Amino acid sequence: MSTLPNIEAHSRAASVQAGPSGRVRRRLEPLLLHTLLIIFCIIVLFPIGYVILTSLAPSRTALGRGFFNAESQLFFGHYTRLLSNSRFLVYILNSAINSIGGAALTTFCVALAGYAFARFRFRGRRALLAFLLALLMLPNLTNLIPLYKLASDLQLRDTYLIMILVYASYGVPLGIWIMKGFFESIPRELEEAAAVDGAGLWTMLWRIIIPLALPGLTSVMIINFVYNWNDFLTALILLSSTAMKTATVGLFDFQNQLSGNDNELLAAACVIIMLPGILIFLVARNAFLEGIAEGAVKG
Amino acid sequence: MRHNKLTPYLLIAPAFVLIALVTLYPTWYSFWLSLNRSRRGALEFIGFENYRNILDTDGFQFRNDFWESLWNTLTFGFFFVLITVVLAFLLAIIFNRRLKGTTVYMVIIFVPWMLSEIVSGIMFRWLFLPQFGLLQNWLAPLVGETPILASGAGAMGVVIGATVWRSLAFATLLILAGMQTIASELYDAAAIDGASGWQRFRYITWPLVRPTTTITVLFLTIQAVNAAGMFLAITDGGPGRSTEVLSLFMYREALEFFNFGYAAALSVIMLGLNSILALIYLRVLRD
Repeated sequence: MSTLPNIEAHSRAASVQAGPSGRVRRRLEPLLLHTLLIIFCIIVLFPIGYVILTSLAPSRTALGRGFFNAESQLFFGHYTRLLSNSRFLVYILNSAINSIGGAALTTFCVALAGYAFARFRFRGRRALLAFLLALLMLPNLTNLIPLYKLASDLQLRDTYLIMILVYASYGVPLGIWIMKGFFESIPRELEEAAAVDGAGLWTMLWRIIIPLALPGLTSVMIINFVYNWNDFLTALILLSSTAMKTATVGLFDFQNQLSGNDNELLAAACVIIMLPGILIFLVARNAFLEGIAEGAVKG
Repeated sequence: MRHNKLTPYLLIAPAFVLIALVTLYPTWYSFWLSLNRSRRGALEFIGFENYRNILDTDGFQFRNDFWESLWNTLTFGFFFVLITVVLAFLLAIIFNRRLKGTTVYMVIIFVPWMLSEIVSGIMFRWLFLPQFGLLQNWLAPLVGETPILASGAGAMGVVIGATVWRSLAFATLLILAGMQTIASELYDAAAIDGASGWQRFRYITWPLVRPTTTITVLFLTIQAVNAAGMFLAITDGGPGRSTEVLSLFMYREALEFFNFGYAAALSVIMLGLNSILALIYLRVLRD
């Protein structure tokens, strides 16, 4: 499943493209492009750098009040304050429970379904795959109003159960496509050998298939963890009690209550909340890039 | 392999039960809700009344909240998609030169995609905070005394900018993936024939990346129609109703005014828009 663009291999085309116009151009062009790209990256990272700097300034000194002066020092007080605030910790814990629970359930479901789509030819297979692609395109937003109403009627709002079920379902369409591709890349011989030895389907799944598919399953797990962790709208609509809110919803409330005061504390909360996503992405970037390309351009 | 006819269905069952519970049933329920009005917590069947109210063109004046929100959504979508695709195309062309370190650049521009909409929204709101915002102060000499977020066009511009910032890498990756399916032999041959850079783009790159570009445009358009988080975080629909897009309108009707029937009808209309785009996507993929 190598849909990840190969962006560093040198091709003959690249050198031919420089054309006959000489060495100067061939030397200058990369330099110019690198400069452009570096400036562009700085612009992209600027808001993030700004929020990190803000979070390290004492209260009421950042945001245009000139905290970039010589005597300013890094201030970690907002972080210690947040990490000893029980409500903030509860929000973080809720985010963790919902995102890990949802991602784990997604991974379990797509491991089985992905295998079925990769190895079996059954009635309705093609139609179901097309249906999953369509679901991949359709955002969850239009489902939130009925979900809210149903969850309220069933008294499931403000529960881990509803959040885990909803998150798990969000991850299914992309997960199945990723795992289908992954299983198709594993040679069948191992399974056939196991079948000759008389292993049943379940033994084979747990002893042979799942261990081989572990890299794919890990990708599905972490991609979904990060998406669930970052989810804001679904949580905003399905959660309203302070005991059950997630970090993103807490951040939204906090922003509304503050109206301009203590932005530095809010910045520190932003940094803590964005950290897991960024760190996991940096460590496992290929899982994300491949997953995105797989989800959109395959079919 | 020995297996029973039911085996594949058993294997896919957990996944599809989840989809049925979280997506299919609520969608069906949404159709039903949209034919009702909620009165003191109880539902009352009113047929297509909600749709009539929503789509009321007021003698072709298109003045009600729905048309206004639809217009806001379309304005947002047009600029967001246009700017993102153009920038993504340029980046993809540069990345396709396979310079050293391209992976590093790609990873850096992908970081915004890994942030929650609410975190990104708060960051952009700060940059444009009246009086204190850094970009607000830098841009003040150009745009005049009114804070950028206090003018309708300015507020819309900030949300468009923030959303482009977040989605750019996604679009770049898709377009780049399309460009890299092109065999380098084609360029070699063109270079030997003496084709100029523009000719190579016009006759080799463009025809071959057009399908991926169409897919990217469709993905971005769907994102635009359903954008909500950034608007909630940055403008909350204001000033006035100038950034009140369809999604915010729907959210408010349901969770602030508890008009579930009306809100459900809005979500059915949005689902219709999304489905049209999704069908085009399936068509493009098949070709």
